[in-house]
Amino acid sequence: MTMKTSGRTASCVFAMGAAAVMLGTTAMANTNATTMTAEVILTGLQSPWDMALLDDGTMFFTEKCHGLSVRMPTGEVTPLLGMTGTEGYPETADDLFCEGQAGMQGVAIDPNFSENRQIYVYSTSSMTAPGTNRVLRMTVNEDFTGVSDRTDIVEDISYKPEASDQPFGGPGAHNGGRIRFGPEGFLWVTTGDIHGGTVPQSPTELGGKVLRIDTDGNAHPDNAAPEGFDDRIYTYGHRNVQGIAFHPETGAAITAEHGPWHSDEITVLENGGNAGWDPAPNTAGRGDCPSNYCGYEPNQFEGMNRYERAAYMPMTDLESYPDAMVPIWDNNGWSQGTSSAAFLEGSQWGAWEGALVVGIMGIGFGGTPIGQRIDVIELNEDASAVVDVTEMTLPIPSGRFRSVVSGPDGALYVAQDAGTIHKLMP
Amino acid sequence: MTDRLRIIVAGVALAVCAGATAATGTQAADLAAGEKRYNVNCVNCHGKAGQGMASFPALKGREAAYIAEKLQTYRAREMVGPNSAIMMSLSSDLTDEDIANLAAYIADRFQ
Ligand code: HEC
Repeated sequence: MTMKTSGRTASCVFAMGAAAVMLGTTAMANTNATTMTAEVILTGLQSPWDMALLDDGTMFFTEKCHGLSVRMPTGEVTPLLGMTGTEGYPETADDLFCEGQAGMQGVAIDPNFSENRQIYVYSTSSMTAPGTNRVLRMTVNEDFTGVSDRTDIVEDISYKPEASDQPFGGPGAHNGGRIRFGPEGFLWVTTGDIHGGTVPQSPTELGGKVLRIDTDGNAHPDNAAPEGFDDRIYTYGHRNVQGIAFHPETGAAITAEHGPWHSDEITVLENGGNAGWDPAPNTAGRGDCPSNYCGYEPNQFEGMNRYERAAYMPMTDLESYPDAMVPIWDNNGWSQGTSSAAFLEGSQWGAWEGALVVGIMGIGFGGTPIGQRIDVIELNEDASAVVDVTEMTLPIPSGRFRSVVSGPDGALYVAQDAGTIHKLMP
Repeated sequence: MTDRLRIIVAGVALAVCAGATAATGTQAADLAAGEKRYNVNCVNCHGKAGQGMASFPALKGREAAYIAEKLQTYRAREMVGPNSAIMMSLSSDLTDEDIANLAAYIADRFQ
Protein backbone atom coordinates (compact mmCIF):
# COMPACT_ATOMS: atom_id res chain seq x y z
CA MET A 1 0.00 0.00 0.00
CA THR A 2 1.74 3.14 -1.14
CA MET A 3 0.60 5.28 1.75
CA LYS A 4 2.65 3.26 4.18
CA THR A 5 5.79 2.71 2.21
CA SER A 6 8.90 4.70 2.85
CA GLY A 7 12.47 4.08 1.88
CA ARG A 8 13.18 2.91 5.37
CA THR A 9 10.49 0.28 5.59
CA ALA A 10 11.38 -0.88 2.12
CA SER A 11 14.92 -1.66 3.18
CA CYS A 12 13.55 -3.49 6.23
CA VAL A 13 11.29 -5.53 3.96
CA PHE A 14 14.29 -6.49 1.89
CA ALA A 15 16.29 -7.52 4.92
CA MET A 16 13.43 -9.51 6.38
CA GLY A 17 12.68 -11.20 3.08
CA ALA A 18 16.29 -12.28 2.76
CA ALA A 19 16.35 -13.49 6.33
CA ALA A 20 13.15 -15.46 5.87
CA VAL A 21 14.74 -17.61 3.21
CA MET A 22 17.20 -19.04 5.67
CA LEU A 23 15.01 -19.21 8.69
CA GLY A 24 14.12 -22.86 9.02
CA THR A 25 14.51 -23.86 12.64
CA THR A 26 14.73 -27.32 14.05
CA ALA A 27 13.46 -27.94 17.52
CA MET A 28 15.70 -30.52 19.07
CA ALA A 29 14.23 -31.61 22.32
CA ASN A 30 10.63 -31.90 21.26
CA THR A 31 9.37 -34.89 19.34
CA ASN A 32 6.24 -33.00 18.38
CA ALA A 33 8.00 -30.06 16.87
CA THR A 34 8.32 -29.91 13.14
CA THR A 35 10.83 -28.02 11.08
CA MET A 36 9.13 -24.80 10.23
CA THR A 37 9.85 -22.14 7.69
CA ALA A 38 8.45 -18.66 7.38
CA GLU A 39 7.68 -16.21 4.64
CA VAL A 40 6.92 -12.52 5.12
CA ILE A 41 3.54 -11.89 3.53
CA LEU A 42 3.10 -8.24 4.50
CA THR A 43 5.06 -5.83 6.63
CA GLY A 44 4.81 -2.19 7.69
CA LEU A 45 1.11 -2.55 8.52
CA GLN A 46 -0.71 -0.56 11.21
CA SER A 47 -1.78 -3.04 13.92
CA PRO A 48 -3.03 -5.81 11.63
CA TRP A 49 -5.96 -7.43 13.40
CA ASP A 50 -7.35 -10.26 11.32
CA MET A 51 -7.14 -12.07 8.00
CA ALA A 52 -9.44 -14.26 5.91
CA LEU A 53 -8.29 -16.22 2.87
CA LEU A 54 -9.95 -17.52 -0.28
CA ASP A 55 -8.91 -20.86 -1.77
CA ASP A 56 -6.56 -19.22 -4.28
CA GLY A 57 -4.69 -17.39 -1.50
CA THR A 58 -6.41 -14.02 -1.89
CA MET A 59 -6.24 -12.55 1.61
CA PHE A 60 -8.53 -9.92 3.10
CA PHE A 61 -7.00 -8.21 6.12
CA THR A 62 -7.87 -5.45 8.57
CA GLU A 63 -5.70 -2.81 10.20
CA LYS A 64 -7.16 -1.47 13.42
CA CYS A 65 -7.08 2.24 12.58
CA HIS A 66 -6.83 2.14 8.79
CA GLY A 67 -9.41 -0.28 7.44
CA LEU A 68 -9.90 -3.22 5.11
CA SER A 69 -7.56 -4.25 2.29
CA VAL A 70 -6.98 -7.28 0.15
CA ARG A 71 -3.73 -8.93 -0.85
CA MET A 72 -3.99 -10.71 -4.19
CA PRO A 73 -2.15 -13.99 -4.86
CA THR A 74 0.35 -11.94 -6.91
CA GLY A 75 1.30 -10.08 -3.72
CA GLU A 76 -0.33 -6.87 -4.85
CA VAL A 77 -2.25 -5.06 -2.10
CA THR A 78 -5.45 -3.17 -2.84
CA PRO A 79 -7.09 -0.97 -0.20
CA LEU A 80 -10.87 -1.48 -0.08
CA LEU A 81 -12.54 0.43 2.74
CA GLY A 82 -10.88 3.10 4.87
CA MET A 83 -11.92 4.35 8.27
CA THR A 84 -12.42 8.00 9.16
CA GLY A 85 -9.37 10.15 8.51
CA THR A 86 -7.54 7.67 6.30
CA GLU A 87 -6.19 8.29 2.82
CA GLY A 88 -5.44 5.99 -0.06
CA TYR A 89 -8.64 3.95 0.06
CA PRO A 90 -11.14 4.02 -2.81
CA GLU A 91 -13.82 4.71 -0.22
CA THR A 92 -13.84 5.76 3.42
CA ALA A 93 -16.64 5.19 5.90
CA ASP A 94 -16.52 8.19 8.18
CA ASP A 95 -18.43 6.50 10.98
CA LEU A 96 -15.77 3.80 11.39
CA PHE A 97 -13.20 4.92 13.95
CA CYS A 98 -10.54 3.56 16.25
CA GLU A 99 -10.00 4.38 19.89
CA GLY A 100 -7.78 2.49 22.31
CA GLN A 101 -8.32 -1.22 21.70
CA ALA A 102 -11.33 -0.58 19.48
CA GLY A 103 -11.35 -0.15 15.72
CA MET A 104 -11.60 -2.43 12.74
CA GLN A 105 -11.15 -5.98 13.97
CA GLY A 106 -12.37 -9.34 12.66
CA VAL A 107 -12.95 -10.25 9.03
CA ALA A 108 -14.72 -13.32 7.59
CA ILE A 109 -15.55 -14.55 4.10
CA ASP A 110 -19.02 -15.87 3.29
CA PRO A 111 -19.00 -19.65 2.70
CA ASN A 112 -20.86 -18.90 -0.56
CA PHE A 113 -18.44 -16.18 -1.60
CA SER A 114 -18.07 -17.56 -5.12
CA GLU A 115 -21.76 -16.86 -5.67
CA ASN A 116 -22.51 -13.82 -3.51
CA ARG A 117 -19.07 -12.19 -3.07
CA GLN A 118 -19.95 -11.21 0.47
CA ILE A 119 -17.51 -10.52 3.29
CA TYR A 120 -18.05 -9.44 6.90
CA VAL A 121 -16.10 -7.04 9.09
CA TYR A 122 -16.32 -6.19 12.79
CA SER A 123 -15.71 -2.52 13.47
CA THR A 124 -16.39 0.29 15.88
CA SER A 125 -18.78 2.88 14.50
CA SER A 126 -20.06 6.29 15.59
CA MET A 127 -23.33 5.93 13.70
CA THR A 128 -25.25 5.25 16.91
CA ALA A 129 -24.20 7.53 19.78
CA PRO A 130 -22.04 7.13 21.83
CA GLY A 131 -20.57 4.49 19.51
CA THR A 132 -21.14 0.77 19.10
CA ASN A 133 -19.35 -2.19 17.64
CA ARG A 134 -20.96 -3.47 14.49
CA VAL A 135 -20.79 -6.32 12.04
CA LEU A 136 -20.78 -5.05 8.46
CA ARG A 137 -21.68 -7.16 5.43
CA MET A 138 -20.30 -5.98 2.10
CA THR A 139 -20.06 -7.16 -1.49
CA VAL A 140 -16.63 -7.28 -3.11
CA ASN A 141 -16.53 -6.27 -6.77
CA GLU A 142 -15.32 -8.63 -9.49
CA ASP A 143 -11.76 -7.32 -9.69
CA PHE A 144 -11.25 -6.92 -5.93
CA THR A 145 -10.85 -3.15 -6.11
CA GLY A 146 -13.81 -2.06 -4.05
CA VAL A 147 -16.70 -3.02 -1.78
CA SER A 148 -20.33 -1.94 -1.92
CA ASP A 149 -23.80 -2.68 -0.48
CA ARG A 150 -22.72 -2.17 3.11
CA THR A 151 -25.36 -3.57 5.45
CA ASP A 152 -24.78 -3.52 9.19
CA ILE A 153 -26.16 -6.90 10.23
CA VAL A 154 -25.41 -6.26 13.92
CA GLU A 155 -25.53 -2.65 15.09
CA ASP A 156 -25.68 -2.84 18.85
CA ILE A 157 -22.61 -4.53 20.29
CA SER A 158 -21.44 -2.78 23.44
CA TYR A 159 -18.65 -0.20 23.16
CA LYS A 160 -16.88 1.67 25.97
CA PRO A 161 -17.26 5.39 25.24
CA GLU A 162 -15.56 6.92 28.28
CA ALA A 163 -12.46 6.42 30.36
CA SER A 164 -12.72 4.65 33.71
CA ASP A 165 -10.42 4.02 36.64
CA GLN A 166 -8.92 0.76 35.38
CA PRO A 167 -5.65 -0.43 33.88
CA PHE A 168 -5.97 0.39 30.16
CA GLY A 169 -9.05 2.26 31.37
CA GLY A 170 -9.32 4.49 28.32
CA PRO A 171 -12.30 4.41 25.99
CA GLY A 172 -12.50 1.48 23.59
CA ALA A 173 -11.47 -1.29 26.01
CA HIS A 174 -12.49 -4.96 25.62
CA ASN A 175 -14.35 -5.40 22.35
CA GLY A 176 -13.78 -9.09 21.59
CA GLY A 177 -14.02 -8.68 17.83
CA ARG A 178 -13.30 -12.03 16.15
CA ILE A 179 -15.87 -13.19 13.59
CA ARG A 180 -15.82 -16.68 12.06
CA PHE A 181 -18.18 -18.91 10.13
CA GLY A 182 -18.95 -22.18 11.87
CA PRO A 183 -19.24 -25.52 10.08
CA GLU A 184 -22.99 -25.13 9.54
CA GLY A 185 -22.64 -21.77 7.78
CA PHE A 186 -23.67 -19.45 10.61
CA LEU A 187 -21.59 -16.48 11.69
CA TRP A 188 -20.11 -16.41 15.18
CA VAL A 189 -19.24 -13.06 16.75
CA THR A 190 -17.17 -12.65 19.91
CA THR A 191 -17.52 -9.56 22.09
CA GLY A 192 -15.98 -8.06 25.24
CA ASP A 193 -17.13 -6.72 28.60
CA ILE A 194 -16.17 -3.05 27.84
CA HIS A 195 -15.08 -2.68 31.51
CA GLY A 196 -18.77 -2.76 32.34
CA GLY A 197 -19.42 -4.46 35.67
CA THR A 198 -22.88 -5.75 34.80
CA VAL A 199 -22.38 -6.24 31.06
CA PRO A 200 -21.23 -9.91 30.84
CA GLN A 201 -24.19 -11.29 32.79
CA SER A 202 -26.70 -8.86 31.27
CA PRO A 203 -29.39 -10.66 29.25
CA THR A 204 -29.73 -7.80 26.78
CA GLU A 205 -26.38 -6.06 26.40
CA LEU A 206 -24.29 -7.79 23.76
CA GLY A 207 -20.89 -7.23 25.43
CA GLY A 208 -19.22 -10.24 27.06
CA LYS A 209 -21.02 -12.68 24.75
CA VAL A 210 -20.59 -15.01 21.83
CA LEU A 211 -23.31 -14.52 19.22
CA ARG A 212 -24.46 -17.01 16.60
CA ILE A 213 -26.36 -15.42 13.73
CA ASP A 214 -27.20 -15.87 10.06
CA THR A 215 -25.77 -13.66 7.33
CA ASP A 216 -28.61 -11.18 7.75
CA GLY A 217 -27.89 -10.84 11.47
CA ASN A 218 -30.84 -12.94 12.66
CA ALA A 219 -30.47 -15.30 15.57
CA HIS A 220 -29.77 -18.97 14.88
CA PRO A 221 -33.11 -20.65 15.69
CA ASP A 222 -31.48 -23.10 18.09
CA ASN A 223 -29.62 -20.58 20.28
CA ALA A 224 -30.47 -21.61 23.82
CA ALA A 225 -29.55 -18.77 26.18
CA PRO A 226 -31.87 -18.48 29.19
CA GLU A 227 -35.35 -16.96 29.04
CA GLY A 228 -35.24 -13.22 28.55
CA PHE A 229 -31.85 -13.17 26.83
CA ASP A 230 -31.32 -11.60 23.43
CA ASP A 231 -31.88 -14.52 21.08
CA ARG A 232 -28.64 -13.88 19.18
CA ILE A 233 -26.66 -14.95 22.25
CA TYR A 234 -25.02 -18.39 22.17
CA THR A 235 -22.97 -17.99 25.38
CA TYR A 236 -22.61 -15.21 27.94
CA GLY A 237 -20.50 -14.30 30.98
CA HIS A 238 -17.31 -13.69 28.99
CA ARG A 239 -14.58 -11.11 29.60
CA ASN A 240 -12.90 -10.47 26.26
CA VAL A 241 -13.04 -13.22 23.67
CA GLN A 242 -10.62 -12.64 20.80
CA GLY A 243 -10.32 -16.21 19.61
CA ILE A 244 -12.86 -18.70 18.27
CA ALA A 245 -12.30 -21.84 16.22
CA PHE A 246 -14.30 -24.96 15.42
CA HIS A 247 -13.09 -28.45 16.15
CA PRO A 248 -12.46 -30.20 12.82
CA GLU A 249 -14.16 -33.44 13.96
CA THR A 250 -16.81 -32.49 16.49
CA GLY A 251 -17.58 -29.01 15.14
CA ALA A 252 -17.59 -27.64 18.69
CA ALA A 253 -16.98 -23.92 19.05
CA ILE A 254 -13.89 -23.29 21.18
CA THR A 255 -12.96 -19.83 22.44
CA ALA A 256 -9.72 -18.25 23.61
CA GLU A 257 -10.10 -15.42 26.05
CA HIS A 258 -7.96 -12.81 27.84
CA GLY A 259 -7.81 -13.05 31.59
CA PRO A 260 -7.51 -10.09 34.00
CA TRP A 261 -3.90 -10.19 35.34
CA HIS A 262 -4.54 -13.97 35.69
CA SER A 263 -6.12 -16.98 33.98
CA ASP A 264 -6.38 -16.76 30.22
CA GLU A 265 -8.92 -19.36 29.20
CA ILE A 266 -9.79 -21.79 26.46
CA THR A 267 -13.37 -22.98 26.69
CA VAL A 268 -15.46 -25.47 24.75
CA LEU A 269 -18.74 -23.61 24.39
CA GLU A 270 -22.08 -25.11 25.34
CA ASN A 271 -25.18 -23.66 23.73
CA GLY A 272 -26.69 -21.17 26.17
CA GLY A 273 -23.81 -21.56 28.57
CA ASN A 274 -22.43 -19.07 31.10
CA ALA A 275 -18.67 -18.55 31.07
CA GLY A 276 -18.89 -17.35 34.67
CA TRP A 277 -17.29 -13.90 34.49
CA ASP A 278 -19.09 -11.41 36.71
CA PRO A 279 -17.16 -8.24 37.56
CA ALA A 280 -20.24 -6.44 38.96
CA PRO A 281 -19.73 -4.58 42.26
CA ASN A 282 -21.22 -5.99 45.44
CA THR A 283 -21.36 -9.57 44.22
CA ALA A 284 -19.64 -12.77 45.37
CA GLY A 285 -18.27 -11.20 48.53
CA ARG A 286 -16.76 -8.17 46.81
CA GLY A 287 -17.79 -4.62 47.73
CA ASP A 288 -17.69 -1.41 45.75
CA CYS A 289 -15.08 -1.28 43.02
CA PRO A 290 -13.41 1.51 41.01
CA SER A 291 -15.80 2.78 38.33
CA ASN A 292 -18.21 -0.03 39.27
CA TYR A 293 -15.97 -2.71 37.74
CA CYS A 294 -14.30 -5.34 39.91
CA GLY A 295 -12.49 -7.07 37.10
CA TYR A 296 -8.94 -6.28 38.31
CA GLU A 297 -9.61 -6.51 42.02
CA PRO A 298 -8.34 -6.84 44.65
CA ASN A 299 -5.39 -4.88 43.31
CA GLN A 300 -5.61 -3.13 39.94
CA PHE A 301 -2.08 -1.89 39.40
CA GLU A 302 0.50 -3.87 41.33
CA GLY A 303 1.92 -7.34 40.79
CA MET A 304 0.32 -9.96 43.01
CA ASN A 305 0.11 -13.74 43.24
CA ARG A 306 -2.11 -14.90 40.40
CA TYR A 307 -3.84 -17.61 42.41
CA GLU A 308 -4.83 -15.12 45.11
CA ARG A 309 -6.23 -12.95 42.36
CA ALA A 310 -8.11 -15.88 40.86
CA ALA A 311 -9.58 -16.79 44.23
CA TYR A 312 -10.82 -13.25 44.77
CA MET A 313 -12.08 -12.44 41.25
CA PRO A 314 -12.31 -15.69 39.27
CA MET A 315 -12.51 -15.77 35.48
CA THR A 316 -15.01 -18.60 35.87
CA ASP A 317 -16.93 -18.23 39.12
CA LEU A 318 -18.13 -21.76 39.85
CA GLU A 319 -19.29 -20.80 43.31
CA SER A 320 -21.78 -18.22 42.10
CA TYR A 321 -22.49 -20.11 38.86
CA PRO A 322 -22.08 -23.85 39.52
CA ASP A 323 -23.22 -24.69 35.98
CA ALA A 324 -20.72 -22.38 34.31
CA MET A 325 -18.62 -23.82 31.48
CA VAL A 326 -15.33 -25.01 32.95
CA PRO A 327 -12.33 -23.94 30.83
CA ILE A 328 -10.10 -26.71 29.50
CA TRP A 329 -6.94 -24.54 29.79
CA ASP A 330 -6.09 -21.61 32.03
CA ASN A 331 -2.55 -20.78 30.85
CA ASN A 332 -1.13 -22.02 34.15
CA GLY A 333 -2.96 -19.24 35.88
CA TRP A 334 -1.19 -16.49 33.90
CA SER A 335 -2.74 -13.72 31.87
CA GLN A 336 -0.59 -13.09 28.82
CA GLY A 337 -3.05 -11.75 26.30
CA THR A 338 -4.32 -14.93 24.67
CA SER A 339 -5.90 -13.68 21.49
CA SER A 340 -6.67 -15.78 18.47
CA ALA A 341 -7.28 -19.48 17.87
CA ALA A 342 -7.24 -21.84 14.88
CA PHE A 343 -6.94 -25.54 14.16
CA LEU A 344 -3.97 -26.85 12.19
CA GLU A 345 -5.27 -28.72 9.18
CA GLY A 346 -3.59 -31.32 6.97
CA SER A 347 -1.15 -34.16 7.32
CA GLN A 348 1.79 -31.83 6.63
CA TRP A 349 1.54 -30.84 10.29
CA GLY A 350 2.44 -34.38 11.35
CA ALA A 351 1.65 -35.01 15.00
CA TRP A 352 0.20 -31.51 15.21
CA GLU A 353 -2.54 -32.19 12.66
CA GLY A 354 -5.84 -31.25 14.24
CA ALA A 355 -4.21 -29.40 17.15
CA LEU A 356 -5.47 -26.01 18.30
CA VAL A 357 -3.04 -23.11 18.07
CA VAL A 358 -3.44 -19.89 20.02
CA GLY A 359 -1.62 -16.59 19.58
CA ILE A 360 -0.43 -14.93 22.77
CA MET A 361 0.55 -11.26 23.24
CA GLY A 362 2.03 -10.85 26.73
CA ILE A 363 3.26 -7.54 28.10
CA GLY A 364 5.08 -8.84 31.14
CA PHE A 365 3.13 -6.83 33.67
CA GLY A 366 3.64 -7.25 37.41
CA GLY A 367 6.12 -10.12 37.28
CA THR A 368 4.22 -12.15 34.67
CA PRO A 369 6.53 -13.93 32.20
CA ILE A 370 6.13 -12.13 28.88
CA GLY A 371 5.15 -15.17 26.86
CA GLN A 372 4.69 -13.69 23.40
CA ARG A 373 4.28 -16.97 21.56
CA ILE A 374 2.09 -19.45 19.74
CA ASP A 375 1.01 -22.47 21.75
CA VAL A 376 0.06 -25.75 20.11
CA ILE A 377 -2.66 -27.35 22.19
CA GLU A 378 -3.56 -30.96 21.60
CA LEU A 379 -7.05 -31.96 22.61
CA ASN A 380 -8.42 -35.39 23.35
CA GLU A 381 -10.61 -37.13 20.81
CA ASP A 382 -13.93 -35.60 21.79
CA ALA A 383 -12.32 -32.19 22.35
CA SER A 384 -13.28 -32.13 26.01
CA ALA A 385 -9.81 -31.82 27.54
CA VAL A 386 -6.27 -30.72 26.83
CA VAL A 387 -3.79 -33.55 26.36
CA ASP A 388 -0.59 -31.61 25.73
CA VAL A 389 0.65 -28.06 25.26
CA THR A 390 3.79 -27.23 23.27
CA GLU A 391 5.20 -23.82 22.54
CA MET A 392 5.77 -23.56 18.80
CA THR A 393 9.42 -23.22 17.89
CA LEU A 394 9.13 -20.14 15.78
CA PRO A 395 11.15 -19.45 12.66
CA ILE A 396 10.46 -15.72 13.19
CA PRO A 397 11.07 -13.32 16.09
CA SER A 398 8.36 -13.52 18.71
CA GLY A 399 5.87 -10.69 19.09
CA ARG A 400 2.27 -9.98 19.94
CA PHE A 401 0.42 -12.63 17.92
CA ARG A 402 -2.95 -10.99 17.34
CA SER A 403 -4.33 -13.32 14.72
CA VAL A 404 -3.67 -16.92 13.66
CA VAL A 405 -5.50 -18.28 10.62
CA SER A 406 -5.27 -21.67 8.91
CA GLY A 407 -4.82 -21.01 5.21
CA PRO A 408 -6.31 -22.99 2.31
CA ASP A 409 -2.76 -24.05 1.43
CA GLY A 410 -2.30 -25.74 4.80
CA ALA A 411 -0.02 -22.99 6.11
CA LEU A 412 -0.63 -20.97 9.27
CA TYR A 413 -0.92 -17.24 8.69
CA VAL A 414 -0.02 -15.13 11.72
CA ALA A 415 -0.33 -11.38 12.30
CA GLN A 416 1.76 -9.50 14.83
CA ASP A 417 0.65 -6.17 16.29
CA ALA A 418 3.99 -4.65 15.34
CA GLY A 419 2.84 -4.72 11.73
CA THR A 420 3.76 -7.99 10.05
CA ILE A 421 1.86 -10.94 8.62
CA HIS A 422 3.85 -14.13 8.14
CA LYS A 423 3.03 -17.44 6.58
CA LEU A 424 4.38 -20.33 8.67
CA MET A 425 4.84 -23.68 7.01
CA PRO A 426 5.62 -27.00 8.64
CA MET B 1 20.11 12.65 3.04
CA THR B 2 19.02 9.14 2.13
CA ASP B 3 17.43 6.99 4.78
CA ARG B 4 20.31 4.61 4.75
CA LEU B 5 22.73 7.47 5.29
CA ARG B 6 20.58 8.83 8.07
CA ILE B 7 20.76 5.49 9.85
CA ILE B 8 24.52 5.44 9.53
CA VAL B 9 24.74 9.00 10.78
CA ALA B 10 22.51 8.11 13.70
CA GLY B 11 24.81 5.21 14.44
CA VAL B 12 27.83 7.50 14.40
CA ALA B 13 25.99 10.00 16.56
CA LEU B 14 25.25 7.20 18.99
CA ALA B 15 28.85 6.13 19.15
CA VAL B 16 29.91 9.70 19.72
CA CYS B 17 27.33 10.12 22.47
CA ALA B 18 28.41 6.93 24.13
CA GLY B 19 31.99 8.15 24.02
CA ALA B 20 30.94 11.45 25.54
CA THR B 21 29.20 9.64 28.38
CA ALA B 22 32.27 7.65 29.16
CA ALA B 23 34.40 10.78 29.13
CA THR B 24 32.25 13.00 31.32
CA GLY B 25 31.03 10.19 33.52
CA THR B 26 28.00 11.44 35.37
CA GLN B 27 26.13 14.17 33.46
CA ALA B 28 25.37 12.78 30.02
CA ALA B 29 22.72 10.09 29.64
CA ASP B 30 23.88 6.50 29.48
CA LEU B 31 22.42 5.14 26.27
CA ALA B 32 23.45 1.58 26.97
CA ALA B 33 21.67 1.66 30.30
CA GLY B 34 18.65 3.21 28.60
CA GLU B 35 18.63 0.49 25.99
CA LYS B 36 18.88 -2.24 28.59
CA ARG B 37 16.04 -0.83 30.59
CA TYR B 38 13.91 -0.26 27.49
CA ASN B 39 14.34 -3.84 26.37
CA VAL B 40 13.27 -5.16 29.74
CA ASN B 41 10.48 -2.77 30.70
CA CYS B 42 9.14 -1.04 27.63
CA VAL B 43 9.71 -3.05 24.46
CA ASN B 44 6.74 -5.38 24.90
CA CYS B 45 4.28 -2.56 24.54
CA HIS B 46 6.07 0.16 22.59
CA GLY B 47 7.90 -2.18 20.22
CA LYS B 48 11.45 -2.85 19.14
CA ALA B 49 11.62 0.34 17.10
CA GLY B 50 9.41 2.43 19.37
CA GLN B 51 6.78 2.23 16.66
CA GLY B 52 3.95 1.54 19.09
CA MET B 53 1.25 -1.03 18.36
CA ALA B 54 -2.28 -1.91 19.28
CA SER B 55 -3.29 0.66 21.92
CA PHE B 56 0.29 1.45 22.92
CA PRO B 57 1.44 4.78 21.45
CA ALA B 58 4.49 5.26 19.22
CA LEU B 59 7.51 6.87 20.86
CA LYS B 60 9.61 7.27 17.74
CA GLY B 61 10.30 10.72 16.43
CA ARG B 62 10.00 12.32 19.85
CA GLU B 63 12.61 14.55 21.46
CA ALA B 64 14.30 13.34 24.61
CA ALA B 65 12.81 16.25 26.54
CA TYR B 66 9.30 15.21 25.49
CA ILE B 67 9.82 11.61 26.61
CA ALA B 68 11.39 12.65 29.90
CA GLU B 69 8.61 15.10 30.62
CA LYS B 70 5.96 12.44 30.01
CA LEU B 71 7.72 9.93 32.22
CA GLN B 72 8.03 12.50 35.00
CA THR B 73 4.35 13.29 34.65
CA TYR B 74 3.40 9.62 34.96
CA ARG B 75 5.76 9.15 37.89
CA ALA B 76 4.04 12.06 39.63
CA ARG B 77 0.79 10.12 39.07
CA GLU B 78 -0.66 12.75 36.75
CA MET B 79 -2.69 11.96 33.67
CA VAL B 80 -1.38 12.31 30.14
CA GLY B 81 -3.83 10.31 28.02
CA PRO B 82 -6.78 8.11 29.06
CA ASN B 83 -4.60 5.05 29.70
CA SER B 84 -2.15 6.81 32.00
CA ALA B 85 -2.79 4.55 34.97
CA ILE B 86 -0.72 1.77 33.49
CA MET B 87 2.20 4.11 32.80
CA MET B 88 1.94 5.58 36.32
CA SER B 89 2.44 2.17 37.77
CA LEU B 90 5.24 1.31 35.32
CA SER B 91 7.16 4.54 36.01
CA SER B 92 6.75 4.67 39.76
CA ASP B 93 10.18 3.21 40.47
CA LEU B 94 12.10 5.08 37.75
CA THR B 95 14.85 7.37 39.09
CA ASP B 96 15.72 10.69 37.42
CA GLU B 97 18.72 8.95 35.95
CA ASP B 98 16.61 6.08 34.56
CA ILE B 99 14.32 8.62 32.92
CA ALA B 100 17.22 10.54 31.39
CA ASN B 101 18.75 7.33 30.06
CA LEU B 102 15.48 6.04 28.63
CA ALA B 103 14.61 9.38 27.06
CA ALA B 104 18.05 9.68 25.47
CA TYR B 105 17.93 6.14 24.14
CA ILE B 106 14.41 6.47 22.71
CA ALA B 107 15.11 9.84 21.08
CA ASP B 108 18.42 8.71 19.61
CA ARG B 109 17.44 5.33 18.31
CA PHE B 110 13.83 5.64 17.22
CA GLN B 111 13.87 8.35 14.56
C1 HEC C 1 1.91 -2.46 29.53
C2 HEC C 1 2.26 -1.74 28.33
C3 HEC C 1 3.28 -0.63 28.48
C4 HEC C 1 4.57 -0.73 28.92
C5 HEC C 1 5.29 -1.99 29.41
C6 HEC C 1 5.13 0.60 28.82
N1 HEC C 1 4.21 1.46 28.32
FE1 HEC C 1 4.51 3.44 27.94
N2 HEC C 1 2.55 3.63 27.44
C7 HEC C 1 1.63 2.63 27.48
C8 HEC C 1 0.32 3.19 27.25
C9 HEC C 1 -1.00 2.42 27.22
C10 HEC C 1 0.51 4.57 27.09
C11 HEC C 1 -0.55 5.66 26.88
C12 HEC C 1 -0.86 6.18 28.30
C13 HEC C 1 -1.76 7.37 28.36
O1 HEC C 1 -2.92 7.27 27.93
O2 HEC C 1 -1.32 8.41 28.88
C14 HEC C 1 1.93 4.82 27.21
C15 HEC C 1 2.53 6.09 27.08
C16 HEC C 1 3.88 6.31 27.16
C17 HEC C 1 4.51 7.60 26.90
C18 HEC C 1 3.81 8.88 26.49
C19 HEC C 1 3.65 8.89 25.00
C20 HEC C 1 2.98 10.15 24.51
O3 HEC C 1 3.31 10.57 23.40
O4 HEC C 1 2.15 10.70 25.23
C21 HEC C 1 5.85 7.41 27.08
C22 HEC C 1 6.94 8.47 26.93
C23 HEC C 1 6.05 6.03 27.47
N3 HEC C 1 4.84 5.40 27.49
C24 HEC C 1 7.28 5.48 27.74
C25 HEC C 1 7.43 4.20 28.25
C26 HEC C 1 8.68 3.70 28.77
C27 HEC C 1 10.00 4.46 28.77
C28 HEC C 1 8.43 2.44 29.20
C29 HEC C 1 9.40 1.50 29.92
C30 HEC C 1 9.90 2.01 31.17
C31 HEC C 1 7.04 2.14 28.93
N4 HEC C 1 6.47 3.23 28.39
C32 HEC C 1 6.44 0.92 29.19
C33 HEC C 1 1.87 1.28 27.67
C34 HEC C 1 3.06 0.76 28.13
